Amino acid sequence: MIRRRFLHALIGAYSLFALLPLFWMFYSSFKSNAEISQTPLSLPHSFDFRVFVDSWRVGGVGKYALNSVIATTASTVLVLVTASMAGFALSRLRFPGSRAVFLLFTLGLLLPIQSYFIMQNQEFDYLNLKDTRWALIIPYTAMGIPLAIWLIKSYIDSLPKELFEAARIDGSSDIQTYRFLMFPIIRPALVTVGIFSALGAWNEFLLALLYVQDESLKTIPTGLLSFSSKYATDYRMLFAALTMVTVPMIALYVGFNRQIVAGITQGAVKG
Amino acid sequence: MKPTSRLGVFILVAPAVLIYCFAVILPFIGTIALSFLRWNGFGSPTWAGLGNYSRALSDSIFRSTFSHVAIYIVATLILEVLLGLALAGFISSLKHSAFYRIALFVPVMLPMVVIAVLWRAIFNSDYGILNAILASLGLTKFQHIWLGDTKTALFAICFVSGWVFSGFYMAIFTAALNRLPTDVIESARLDGSGEMSIFTKIKIPMIRQVTSVAILICITGGLQGFDLFYVLTDGGPYHTTEVPTTFMVKSVFRDGEFGYGSALSIIVSVAGLAMAYLFNLWQKRTRVDVEY
Repeated sequence: MIRRRFLHALIGAYSLFALLPLFWMFYSSFKSNAEISQTPLSLPHSFDFRVFVDSWRVGGVGKYALNSVIATTASTVLVLVTASMAGFALSRLRFPGSRAVFLLFTLGLLLPIQSYFIMQNQEFDYLNLKDTRWALIIPYTAMGIPLAIWLIKSYIDSLPKELFEAARIDGSSDIQTYRFLMFPIIRPALVTVGIFSALGAWNEFLLALLYVQDESLKTIPTGLLSFSSKYATDYRMLFAALTMVTVPMIALYVGFNRQIVAGITQGAVKG
Repeated sequence: MKPTSRLGVFILVAPAVLIYCFAVILPFIGTIALSFLRWNGFGSPTWAGLGNYSRALSDSIFRSTFSHVAIYIVATLILEVLLGLALAGFISSLKHSAFYRIALFVPVMLPMVVIAVLWRAIFNSDYGILNAILASLGLTKFQHIWLGDTKTALFAICFVSGWVFSGFYMAIFTAALNRLPTDVIESARLDGSGEMSIFTKIKIPMIRQVTSVAILICITGGLQGFDLFYVLTDGGPYHTTEVPTTFMVKSVFRDGEFGYGSALSIIVSVAGLAMAYLFNLWQKRTRVDVEY
């Protein structure tokens, strides 16, 4: 009993340590700049939500969020579609070169981004892809594909063979089997892949920093960084911006925490 | 019964192969090729042979990036993996632990840049709360310009990393601990073993495989670290927090040394792969199969 109370106190304190910085960020956006610098710890006296409107509209947080939504949605949908097609073919169909194709994708699980981003930068520069939406959608899709194929292929491998044999005997073509039979039954694998690639795209920084200089196309990580240098001394604007990009994510996370934690840990452990 | 058609296979496989080769495989081959050339990004490149590689090995700043990243990896193994394991052990032994599991994972969800900007504010010497908390506790002599001091900057970064990822490893270990069969643990408990010795002598050996994956993720992830370093210190002060990736990005995108930067990137990638390979070998040789 005493032991349990002690553990609760210990972990409770650590949880507080995990949340305190976020709490400080949140309430500081209601304080004036003078209050923030003179009494950093004090709580706000009043709640004025206009600062959120300002940083969303004037500061451009809304624009960055929209760009992040576009890049994340487009790349995640592309990963899900292309990887489920290829994963299905690699798992269930026999064709010449299938082993080589699978090995090629396995190589992608091993290659860190450092091993190719310099030349990718040159390639995108040469093809005038930089400062377009494709500059992020293409690499985010390509980086998500190897793990996605791996997860989807092993999921289909674990399904009973008869399922697919039956469809084939009924005369359905491979593409029909993919669309009408497989897509619905691999949903659990798609959820994991989707969560993992969406978060990867949402949080990606290095490529976004190199490929997008245009303010109107920046995503949340790079946009927030330029916001933080533009409003370096306007602390409350900075805290408001930080709050606005974190609170929706935390809300989303609390709502779907089971799936999200499973998606992230499974993706990381299997990759 | 319909046979597999060539066209069907092509339609299914081609999109993934094309996007992936275009954005990963081709640039990867190109980076290897570029690492043997001298090129400033304009004009025609000249052959350098192994020149870039020998220059990298004698570059004292580049070499120092490896000791910084080694310190970072050791620190994060303790602050993330070990702490995560301890937290998971505590949490899995409590009945009402949902709040802790959710709270500790919150930082993992957020973009690293957002976290870095927030912690830059926390460390700030004018309005940051860290110095303010120290002052309110009467510990003014421990106040620091955390990110601007060569003695504290690297440790400050390790600390932030621990703040984020201890929850991540906690989640991995909690999932593994909850999957363990209960009969072995029950019988140990009936034999009169204490909770602590059940945890260290039975549970930890049983989740060995998960632990080794966690260590591997921590090492390879650490070697690739960029976001926190770039935003918090950008390698400063005086290159004391310079890591391979920040240095590589500077040599290419600030100094325009494309060939040299590529050689650095190949060295770092090979180092990462070699470490993962050696770690796996070592794991295989020392693995003791636990029966359950």
